[in-house]
This record gives sequence, structure tokens and C-alpha cells, in this order.
Amino acid sequence: MTASAIAVARRVVARWEFVLVLLILAAGTWSTTQSRFFLDTENLLDLMKPYVFIGLMALGLALVVIAGEIDISITSTLAVSAVAFADFWDRGLNIWLSCLLGLVVGMGLGAVNGVLIGLLDLPSLAVTLGTLAAYRGLAFVILGGGGAITGFPSDFTRLGLRDLGSTIVPIGLALFLAATAVFAFVLHGTLFGRYVYAIGSNREAARFSGIPVDRVRVTIFAISGLMAAAAGLLYASYFATARADAANVALLDVVAAVVLGGVNIFGGSGTIVGVFLAVVLIAVLRNGMGLANISGEVQSIVIGSLLLGAILVGNLMRAARDRHTGQGFLMRIHERRLQRGKHNRPPRTRPGLGIRPTKGAR
Amino acid sequence: MTAARLSLQTVATAAFRLRELGIAIALLVAIAIFAVQAESFMTVGNWRNISVSVAVVLAVAVGQTMVVLTRNIDLSVGSIVGLSAFISADTLSTHHGLPIAGVAAIAVAVGIACGLFNGLLVTVGRVPAIIATLGTLYIFRGLVHEVSGGTQVLAFELPASFKAFALREVLGIPALAVIAIAVAVLGAAMLRWTHWGRDFYAIGSNPEAARLAGIPVARRVLLAFTISGGLAGLGGFMFAARFAGVSASSGSGFEFDVISAVVIGGVNVFGGVGTVLGAALGALLIAVIENGFTLLKINEFWKTAFQGFAIVTAVTVDALVTRRIQEALRQRRRREARDAARAEASA
Repeated sequence: MTASAIAVARRVVARWEFVLVLLILAAGTWSTTQSRFFLDTENLLDLMKPYVFIGLMALGLALVVIAGEIDISITSTLAVSAVAFADFWDRGLNIWLSCLLGLVVGMGLGAVNGVLIGLLDLPSLAVTLGTLAAYRGLAFVILGGGGAITGFPSDFTRLGLRDLGSTIVPIGLALFLAATAVFAFVLHGTLFGRYVYAIGSNREAARFSGIPVDRVRVTIFAISGLMAAAAGLLYASYFATARADAANVALLDVVAAVVLGGVNIFGGSGTIVGVFLAVVLIAVLRNGMGLANISGEVQSIVIGSLLLGAILVGNLMRAARDRHTGQGFLMRIHERRLQRGKHNRPPRTRPGLGIRPTKGAR
Repeated sequence: MTAARLSLQTVATAAFRLRELGIAIALLVAIAIFAVQAESFMTVGNWRNISVSVAVVLAVAVGQTMVVLTRNIDLSVGSIVGLSAFISADTLSTHHGLPIAGVAAIAVAVGIACGLFNGLLVTVGRVPAIIATLGTLYIFRGLVHEVSGGTQVLAFELPASFKAFALREVLGIPALAVIAIAVAVLGAAMLRWTHWGRDFYAIGSNPEAARLAGIPVARRVLLAFTISGGLAGLGGFMFAARFAGVSASSGSGFEFDVISAVVIGGVNVFGGVGTVLGAALGALLIAVIENGFTLLKINEFWKTAFQGFAIVTAVTVDALVTRRIQEALRQRRRREARDAARAEASA
């Protein structure tokens, strides 16, 4: 009995999610030294509010990264959706209808990425780098330049600012929790979720096992766009304004949340709980650094270092585990892609079996 | 048989040449349109403007070309430009006696340090280039804010000799453009004739094959990132000279000008294909369009949208053309094998 209890405890401690909880507690403890108001229940619940839009995007991006791709256009999709929504409303449409249209716009932009990547088989990095710029430009074009649309009805702005009913839980946080639950169910509890993992582990094998790879890949990018649009609506609601340059520096936090959350940057593994905890960690850290009067840009040094540190630690652990089967030294992502792609090479079993050039060969 | 295969490879090479020709034609069309539409476009003063704004992008784009050739990417160049511009200009503002070359040396040194950091993350740390340089984009930018502490380096704090430098001309060409041309020629020569320059192409074409062929892949990739950082540092110096002042947000978003110049110029994001000449044409096209839009009073954000669509289009076209050529080569090879087998059977 005790032996199995210890085994269970050991398994819990060995999980990345447990490390994240410890990190959150450490960051929280540091924050209490910065302000005695930190531990207020109200503050603890409220500190998530400005980061809900990060969390929503991180959920969508997690899906994409688990499938072995990347989507860096999400912050621009957010801006287009927010601006399009505001523009629809500004032209006299009902506010909720405008919200719906904003979501459709975001999903459409994501689907464009998906078609280019999934059907034309283009590299997601290059495509979304292009659409990152293209969509940002589009947001400005819709607004006709700079400026902003404001004056949304309070029914809408309370989404980002107010609490749910008579409770002290902010509506934004409740929405994020609900979205997390849905994503956790879809990814861990449905066939579609298994498809996503399968494609991320080995796309070619997934195709041979009859998984509709193309359709799934287009879908995940559409979902990523949809989540960016939802994030855009909450962003507009929280800041009570829709601007074309919205969230233009949020990409770091979103990518950091996904990677810190334990999602393998090369695809194939990761959990939604981890991503959720990483979003909380980033929110607590930024909140604490804000209390300590550290500017947003300097805070980014810490978040950026965490992002790189998380990957480095992951790589170190993996290298220690399979020292003898370690593949080359760079661009695993491309080599994995080659293997998954049309070249159809056998799976990675041999890497580095003494085929390295002898010293002084060159 | 050999002749047939050779001719197909010639076709492949010609396709890539055609790619550069396509950009050149697009450039000429853009110039023609703006020349007709905007009366001040074809003036010496305007072209001096264009040449200076191309210069900064081009210097950085040469380094980016090398990185992209090795099938990597450097997103952090905008922040490196900002960091090196701020540190060098800030040093100059407190040490007026510093020679121009000294200022440039400081900027390049800062850039090399940043590039080395990126390169080590990618090679030793095995962090994918996109994630590594996305992280350092924010880290280096944060450092600029940390170093500056919210202050700026303003024009009046800089010595007159430094401000005169940007206005100096050699044979009617602005000094900054001369620097960029020198960098481009040198970069093109190295990619063409040095063995490590050829290694970049080999690594980008097939990293595994390059490794098996005995190319020290990690060292070459590290070199590419270091050069990219150093040239971004040089770009920072040119940036400071051009605007005679630096703020903490200087150079943010600059990576887009550089990457779109490189990608539009035909440097394939899959690695292994591309030239400095192409990148230069791409940089020129972007600068001309930006300049023309400004003269025609078209909202500058159309430029951002244009760049994005141009990147996506270039990537799509490159991928489709490459695939078509590979397919043709494969079919040709299959046909040759069949013919050879038939000839053997009849013999």
C-alpha cells in the first residue's frame, strides 16, 4: 500500500505540471513580498483578467503545436477580428451579431492559413510569418489607418471587466476556464484529439493509418483563428477599445505559455492542463513584476528567458535520456518533417551510429 | 543521357534565374507606375532617399540570407539593430572624440555578441531557430529598454562629424549606400567562392547529407547566425547615422523589412536556394514601394499588408516550382532507368 502510494507520489512529482504548480507558488510568494494586497482573494482572481486573451490564444496554439506546426499569425488575427467586430458594430449592426461575425472572420483567416499549410503543404512557419504581416496590415486597412473604435455598450464591456452574477469570479476567467475544459475534452477525450497527437508524432504514419490528415490540419488552424478571434473580442471588451495595433507584442506570452506548459515544440505531446497552468504562471509573474514597478518590456526579458530555458531544460533531459540515440545536433524540427513528409524514410532508429565523420576528415 | 540530365538541371537553374528576373520586372513595373503617378519620384533627391533606406535593409538582409540558406531564420535582427544602435550612439554621446570607425566597431561587436547567443541557442541548445529568435527578439528589445532606462539619444547630443557622415557622398552615392553595396558584394563573393559559403547551401539543401559529407554543420550554422548578428549590428550603426538619434523602440518591426526582402528576393525558406542579388532586388522593391506609397499619400499600412501577401505569394510560388522541378527530375530519372533496362534486354 505504502509502496504504491509512494509510486503514485513519485509519478505526480515527476510530472511537469507539478513543477509548474511549484513555480506558480514561488512566483506568488515573491509577489506577496512586493505587495501585501497580492494575497487578497479578489486580487488573486482579478489578476487573470488582463491575461485571459493570452490564455485563449494559447489553447488554440497548443493544438497547432501538438500537431507539429506553428501559428505565429494569431496576434494579427486577433487584431483583424477585434477591428472587424467593432467596424460591424459601428455600422449599426447588433453587438452580439457583430461578435459572431468577428468570430467568423477570425476562423476564416485561420482557415486561409490552414488551406495554405494543410492542402498546399507549405511550411507553417513561412506562411504564418507572411500572414502575421498581411493580417496586421489588413487590420489597419479596415480601420482606415490608426485610430480606434470605442464606446461599446456596457453589456459587452462587462465581459472583460465584471464578475459572473453575484460571485467574485470574473466573467473572463470563467470563459477561460470553460474554454480550457472544452479543449481538454476535445484533445484528451475525442477521436479528433487522438488524430492531432498522431499527426504531430508522425504525419506519414498517421496518413497510412487512414487519418484524414489534410482535413484535421486545416481544422486546427481554423480553430486557432477562432480562438484568436475570441481573444480579440475579450481584448476589445477588457480595454473597451478596438485598435489595429492590438496585442502586437503578445506573441511572446502566448508561445511561452504553450512551451512552458510542456507542449513539445516538435509536436506529438503536451497537455491542456499544463498550458492552463503556464498561463496562470505568466499572469502571476507579470502581475508581480508590475507590482515591483518593472516595465513591460523588461518583464519580457524574464518571460523570454523562461521560454528559452524551458526548451533548453527539455532538450537536456531528452539528451540525457537517449544520449546514444541523439540525432545530429540541429534542426530536429526539419529532420522530423523530412521523415514525416514525402521522403518517407524509415523511423528514427539509427541516428548517429558512428557514421559521424572521423576527426580531421575535413 | 548525361546531356539530358544536365539540360534538366540547367532548366532548374534557369527557373531560379527567372525568379530573380521576375522580381526585376516587378521592380521596373513599380518604378514605371510611380514615375508616371508621382511627379517627384524620378528626382535625384528621391532616389538618394530610396538608396539610403535600402542600404540599412540590405546590410542586414545579407546576413539574413546566409541564415535562411541554412534552413533557419533570424527574427531578432530588428532588436539587434535597436540594441547596437542605442549602445553605440549612447557611447558616442558621452565620448565625442570617438572616431566613426570606433562607433561602427562597437555596434558590430554588440551585434556579434547577440548573433553568437542566437547561434548557440540553435546549435548547442537545439532550440528551433524560430522559437529561439522569437525569444531573443523580446529579450534584446527588453535589454534596450533596460540600458536606455526610458531615455533617448537625441541629435544634439551627437558630434557634428557623426551627423555629417550620413550626408557624405562618394561619387554622388550616399556613404551609407556605399557601405551596403560593399557588404553585399563581399557577402555574394563569400557565398559564391568560399568553401564555408558553399557549405551554407549544402546544409540548407539537406542537413543530414551535409553532415554525412563531413561538413561541420553546427559550426557553419553558428557562423551564419554570428554574421547575421554582426551585420545587424552594422545596420544599427547605419540606422543611428541615418536618423541621428536613437530611442528604445528604434528598429522594432525592422525584421519584417529584412525577412520580406530576403523571401521576396527568392531565397527559399526551405533553405539551400537563393542569392544576395535576389535579396538586394527584394530590398529595393520594398523600398521603392514604400517610397512610392508615401509620395502617393497611400496609407503606410498598405505596405505592411503588401509585404505579408508578397511573402505568402513568394513562398507558395517557390514551393510549387520546386516541387514541379523535383517531380520532373524524378520522372526523367525513371524514364532513363526504363530505357536503360530495355536497351539491356534487347542487347
